[in-house]
Amino acid sequence: MTSDTFAQFRPPAAPPAKARRLPLPLRRALRSPMTVIGLVLVSFHLLLALFAPVIAPYSVSAILTTGLTPPSGAHWLGTDQIGRDYLSRLMSGGRIALLVSLLGVFAAVVTGAVLGLFAGYRGGWLDDLVMRLTDAVMAVPELLLIAVLVLTFGKEIWSLSIVVAIVYTPGVVRVIRARTVGLAAQDFIRAAELRGESLPRILFRELAPNLTGLLAVELAIRCSSAVLKISALSFLGLGISQPTPDWGLMVQEAMTVIFTDPWFLIAPAIGLSSLVIGINFAVDGLARAYGVSETDTNP
Amino acid sequence: MMTPHIHISGLDVTYSTDLGTEVHAVRDAGLQVLRGETLGIVGESGSGKSTLARSLLGYARPGARFAKGTVRLGDTDVLRLDPAGLRAFRGGRAAMVPQNPLSSLTPHMPIGRQLAELVRLHTDLRDSAAKKRILWLMDRTGLPEPDKLLARYPHEISGGQRQRVVIAAALIGRPELIVLDEPTTALDKTVEAEVLQLVAELQKELNATLVYVSHDLNVIRAMCRKIAVMKDGKILEQGLLSRVYSRPATAYTQELIRAIPRIEPQGPKPGSRPAHTALASAGFATTSVSFSYHRPGGLFRRGPDGPPALQDITLDINAGETLGIVGESGSGKSTLAGLVAGIVSGHSGRITFDGQPLAGKAANRSKDMRRRVQMVFQDPLSSLNPAQKVNEILARPRQLYFGRSAAEARADSIALLKEVELEPDILNRSARQLSGGQQQRIAMCRALAAEPELLICDEVTSALDVTIQARVLDLLLRIQKERGLTCLFISHDLAVIGKVSHRVAVLQMGRLQEIGQRDALLNAPTTDYTRKLLQGHRHDAGAT
Repeated sequence: MTSDTFAQFRPPAAPPAKARRLPLPLRRALRSPMTVIGLVLVSFHLLLALFAPVIAPYSVSAILTTGLTPPSGAHWLGTDQIGRDYLSRLMSGGRIALLVSLLGVFAAVVTGAVLGLFAGYRGGWLDDLVMRLTDAVMAVPELLLIAVLVLTFGKEIWSLSIVVAIVYTPGVVRVIRARTVGLAAQDFIRAAELRGESLPRILFRELAPNLTGLLAVELAIRCSSAVLKISALSFLGLGISQPTPDWGLMVQEAMTVIFTDPWFLIAPAIGLSSLVIGINFAVDGLARAYGVSETDTNP
Repeated sequence: MMTPHIHISGLDVTYSTDLGTEVHAVRDAGLQVLRGETLGIVGESGSGKSTLARSLLGYARPGARFAKGTVRLGDTDVLRLDPAGLRAFRGGRAAMVPQNPLSSLTPHMPIGRQLAELVRLHTDLRDSAAKKRILWLMDRTGLPEPDKLLARYPHEISGGQRQRVVIAAALIGRPELIVLDEPTTALDKTVEAEVLQLVAELQKELNATLVYVSHDLNVIRAMCRKIAVMKDGKILEQGLLSRVYSRPATAYTQELIRAIPRIEPQGPKPGSRPAHTALASAGFATTSVSFSYHRPGGLFRRGPDGPPALQDITLDINAGETLGIVGESGSGKSTLAGLVAGIVSGHSGRITFDGQPLAGKAANRSKDMRRRVQMVFQDPLSSLNPAQKVNEILARPRQLYFGRSAAEARADSIALLKEVELEPDILNRSARQLSGGQQQRIAMCRALAAEPELLICDEVTSALDVTIQARVLDLLLRIQKERGLTCLFISHDLAVIGKVSHRVAVLQMGRLQEIGQRDALLNAPTTDYTRKLLQGHRHDAGAT
């Protein structure tokens, strides 16, 4: 009721000519402060990841002091145990995790979409086969699976990306397949079949354009999950390793000084959580605005 | 002057949209109905008729609110009842029968337990007295074998039985007001007639005030003494049904009355067959088929055949004529359309078109054959790709079958749009931005873009409002005549079939009951089933 009463006193929406060009769902999303906060955080982190080496005060690997020093005018967040500038390392700490997540999840969404479209449209034993394979992968706890795969493939950026892709593909397949089954039952697909359209055309020209919103949400939400997983892996010493700066790794290193110099722990933790929270806020708002429901995105 | 039983005055119901504006679903509505009277509220989708009817039970859909006005039943101000009062009011003094009986019964409980729960909630009856009330209701609503039925789940009984159970549930508290919101829309015509009869009897027995919401003027005519016509949230006119019918006060009511499909055996002929056609005139398309759907099988084996959906249906369609196929749900009429179109495959028997056998699946037919046989579907929204603009939808057949460039296809589309009386600017819109009537016209355009010789229309107007239906049928008649199209027209509605068909075939439970010239069949049906179908349509005839 309160929102209704409120709505009465709101002046009629008359957006300036420029804002008019934004699609309606996006304008609607931007009304929510949570979405705006999310988008700002995500943009901030993306810019930081891109330009960190340029704007950071020092090189991430330069040894500047002898051992750990507290914050000072020259080093705003102090230096770490080896004497490297902590602020500079913090600024670069999300780069690898974000890059690996983006590459891996992008590959997962592309593969998952193709498989999901195919399984959902064709149905029958092919569908069963693909679904049972995804069941098999998803039966293994994600972190364990990642750890085992990393031990197999190695810790390079490309191999970590492949690991992320393998782990996240099944979830995407399930979501896309579920939506495809619903779409494939509609008459516009019957019409396409009656015209004699080819399988690729039905999958990618008739069905796929209806999934763009869902795919975007999948990409974003699984990126945030992947960043967390990669960081957890680094924290456990299985992921990104020295001397590369990484938030998960930095948290782990800070464990020894947690009571004497807590900002060493707090700073990378803030970095990581603000990125993940930012993505989640932004995705929530956009998903609502584009009509992708929560149940769609949960595998 | 008696005090009215229902008294609505100055009622506004509004929705607030996401963009902060308020939309009126009902605007300044006023109604007065005496105890024991029957009021029909008629209007097309979006007219606010359901919203108005629900306000009688103090119910507004989520997001809607009562902005202004009062709703009184007797001396109760419905909109001012507190939640507890409202709970007692609904189901006690006022009851509602909603449109979809399946979604108003909970699927996980046997019917008997659901009814018992309602008796406990709305009456003081317990144990054997409660059981007695339930059995009385079952008897009164014409439900057979109460003991067996009460143990069943909602999905285990037929649609007509479900609607009777819902009506029985509504009557548990012996309400003084019964609101029925399109209760028979999901039912077949013959079942509808029985349910309506039942409602009329029960209303008299309880001396209840009846409010009947429907888009179907025929049904309102059969049920009600008074009528209110709604459009765009406003009550355009109200009064005695006989008066509104004979002297409608507004142009809209006139159009609404004119648009009602009637069975007119002596009515005007649909487009006559083109005499000049070079095609073989008789047996242009023929079927002689039987068909069964497969039961679901295991991983490596096909399931066994289910009961036959079609049994030896032998039909022939002559070039340039419209063959209407009428039947109730489960008659196999859509299966037949699907077989000829190439959606459903695996029949036994033979389908021929222009002298050549037609393969089952469209994919196995030649490209030219696919072009020549086109189909228009029942649900216009589902048959248009939501991710495509109209331009893309219409251009595809031109590019695929005739190799037209994008610019040429666009020009073709504009010509086609003109043929179905739409403006070219619609090309840049997507299906969801169009009305139901526009969507169905676009779907027709897509079929016509292939320059078909046989057009299959499967219930193409059943999702449309009556006035829109009348316009789409007129359009179809004109196009059929101008293009000399051969049409296979499927519908559950005998009046619609009668309007467009040269010949009519009647299907029941997968069997061909009879086939004949339209006038002969409608005037002198030879089977009991056809007579029963006709009866279902004429139940309104005695109302005025």
